[in-house]
Amino acid sequence: MIDFSMYDVKTPEILGYKCQTCGAIHYPAPMICGKCSTRRDPVTGRKWETFPLEGPATLLTWTRVWNLPEGYNVKYLLFGIVEFENGLRASGRLGVDDPKTGMKLTSRVEESDERPGKPVNVFIFS
Amino acid sequence: MTARIGIVGIGHTRFGNSSEYDLADVMAYAATDALIDAGILEQRREVDQVFVANMASGLFCHQSSVASSMVSKLDMEPVPAELIENGPASGASAVKIAYMAIASGMVDVALVVGGEIMRKISGWEATDVVATMLHPEAEYAMGLTLPSFGGMFARLYMDKYGCTERDLALVAVKDHDNGALNQYAHVQGTCTIEAIADGETAGVVNNYIAEPLRIYSTCPVTDGAAALVLVNMDSPKAKLFKKKPVRIAGVGSATDTHCVHNRKDPLRLDAVRIAGEKAYRMAGLTPGDISFAELHDAFTILELAISEEIGLFERGKSYLAVRKGETTIKGRLPINPSGGLKSKGHPVGATGVSQVVELVRQLRGEAEEGRQVRDPKYGMSVNFGGFGNNVVAIICAKD
Amino acid sequence: MAIDALELKLRPPELGLTPYPAKMITLASGEIMVVRECRREEVGVLLGTVYPLIGVAADYYDIVACRMYEELLGWYRYRTANEFVLVGAINGVIAGIVNSRSVDHKLGMSLHTLTIKRGLRVGAQLFAAKMENHIEYQGADEVYIVAESPNGWKRWMLEYSLEDRSSLYPAVRHELGGGPTFCLTRKLWDAVKASKCTGTRPVPPEILATANKLIMPTEYVQIPGFKR
Repeated sequence: MIDFSMYDVKTPEILGYKCQTCGAIHYPAPMICGKCSTRRDPVTGRKWETFPLEGPATLLTWTRVWNLPEGYNVKYLLFGIVEFENGLRASGRLGVDDPKTGMKLTSRVEESDERPGKPVNVFIFS
Repeated sequence: MTARIGIVGIGHTRFGNSSEYDLADVMAYAATDALIDAGILEQRREVDQVFVANMASGLFCHQSSVASSMVSKLDMEPVPAELIENGPASGASAVKIAYMAIASGMVDVALVVGGEIMRKISGWEATDVVATMLHPEAEYAMGLTLPSFGGMFARLYMDKYGCTERDLALVAVKDHDNGALNQYAHVQGTCTIEAIADGETAGVVNNYIAEPLRIYSTCPVTDGAAALVLVNMDSPKAKLFKKKPVRIAGVGSATDTHCVHNRKDPLRLDAVRIAGEKAYRMAGLTPGDISFAELHDAFTILELAISEEIGLFERGKSYLAVRKGETTIKGRLPINPSGGLKSKGHPVGATGVSQVVELVRQLRGEAEEGRQVRDPKYGMSVNFGGFGNNVVAIICAKD
Repeated sequence: MAIDALELKLRPPELGLTPYPAKMITLASGEIMVVRECRREEVGVLLGTVYPLIGVAADYYDIVACRMYEELLGWYRYRTANEFVLVGAINGVIAGIVNSRSVDHKLGMSLHTLTIKRGLRVGAQLFAAKMENHIEYQGADEVYIVAESPNGWKRWMLEYSLEDRSSLYPAVRHELGGGPTFCLTRKLWDAVKASKCTGTRPVPPEILATANKLIMPTEYVQIPGFKR
């Protein structure tokens, strides 16, 4: 039978990876678990599970970038590195115009076609 | 390590805009200068192995396999040649691999050439090409670039240690003072602290690139090439060379997490520290022995942070030494007497080789008047790949 | 020259422009650039400065220099309405020239920006001065802008977030070849002027004096081996 859910409009997600052998969580996906050396097979995903990386996060550092690379047609973008409550960290764009280190933000994911090739998923922390 | 390996020839193009030239030509030009300096132009086939350092000729110039093309330009067939790529640390990696090849006993004389032409494409495209070093999904996809990480690192450093934007500007003023005297430097104009930090118009003249980094805290986009001839000083071939070799005393390298957000401590550059420690250990030296250093100041904050990681200053305190003038050419510990990446320029594949060329010029006493370090004994270079995830440190000695 | 009845028929109507007050900017090298308005009798050195660049095809210098040459003559000979010319001079030597004109008291029509001394953001500073003149001193609410070069587009259209009016063509079109027209409004200017426009006023008399007699540059990085 056909899985018709494949046609559903999907909310973009960015995934965290959990090693089922030892429970360690990682982002982005490693090839080998840093804690117990379990390997991850990108084809079958055996012994690993994924989970959406999302939720409240603390801003660790940020910058406002004026010299954007080819493909971007805005004046500037804000970027930051955050730490989620589960301890995982991530880099992404900021949706706040006046960031302060230490502030609490929430993540959302949007699809972007500013990079060459297929559209990519981007974190926006606001 | 018992091999004694030294540098007997150097070559360097005028860094700047070479975009109308062919990359292999620019590299071969520097290589020819090195062969002439080594006195073996006619006997260039005495070279056993060529290593070419280049980061992204495919993306910048739509050309690949430049090691092979360069060997042909030099009419050096059938000498073997390979390309070494390590992002902006390609140059020092090529020196390291050449060292390893000679130390293995398989090679007695090696030619190392580093080069890059970045200006055939626009500045925005060049920023994008350099950004391809970053993690494709977790960093590049977000729109992040190397300056973005420079900015975020600078913010953390400045917040924790009290360094100001003016301190970053002081580093630039010093770099430009040195670069103005360096015949190979891209930017040979000086800048004043008045103009880029203190003055009324400084805020706009020295505008933000990736806050808090400003245009005068970031290196230019540069074309150029540099070259070295290395020899096993105890081999029969060493007799070919008239000039006293400058010995490579120590080499060290290390990697760190690809994603900057996964660094154990976002303010530490562990790969720099480990690479430096390995180089010191191999050379039998400590930071106190270093007379001068060429440190990878793609962003002037990195000159400060790297100098601390390799133990030249206490963590968080290097900017105080800059304020006192300790790192100027007349200071206690000159840093970037060549002008650094800020003023000399940063053709990414060439920089690591260019840094070692400078170590040799200084140790030979051949630097231009006004930027010659007084009586140097040991010079150290640190070549920073990615945003610090692959770093190579080299120490040269004047024996 | 004698202004007879026929000459009056040939001259465009004058709005009466407010004089632009001179300012000085310390460039990164430490050199001081005086930015001031030019007088018609200085057109000789301006034309002499622009002329060699008519032969430089790289970076669209040829079309910009050629058009600016024509516009300077139009200003000098009273055949272009309400044009003003600003110059950036370092020790009197011309580093860059910008020109523009007022269509009426509310609308400016930006003409050209020509940089001779490169590497010090002279063009960026002079373009900002031109916009400052239109909005702060001539009282314009809007300035129409086109770019001939990709560099120009990125520096102005992107960095100033100019409003894209190209969809209103031909009702709204720039005088320069009817190119896709972008607009700097007063609101957009207010949002960027702090980060784009700078300068010290008044200029100390001894520094202003250095720019009294404008000097044509003796070298052009765009023309290796140039000899006047």
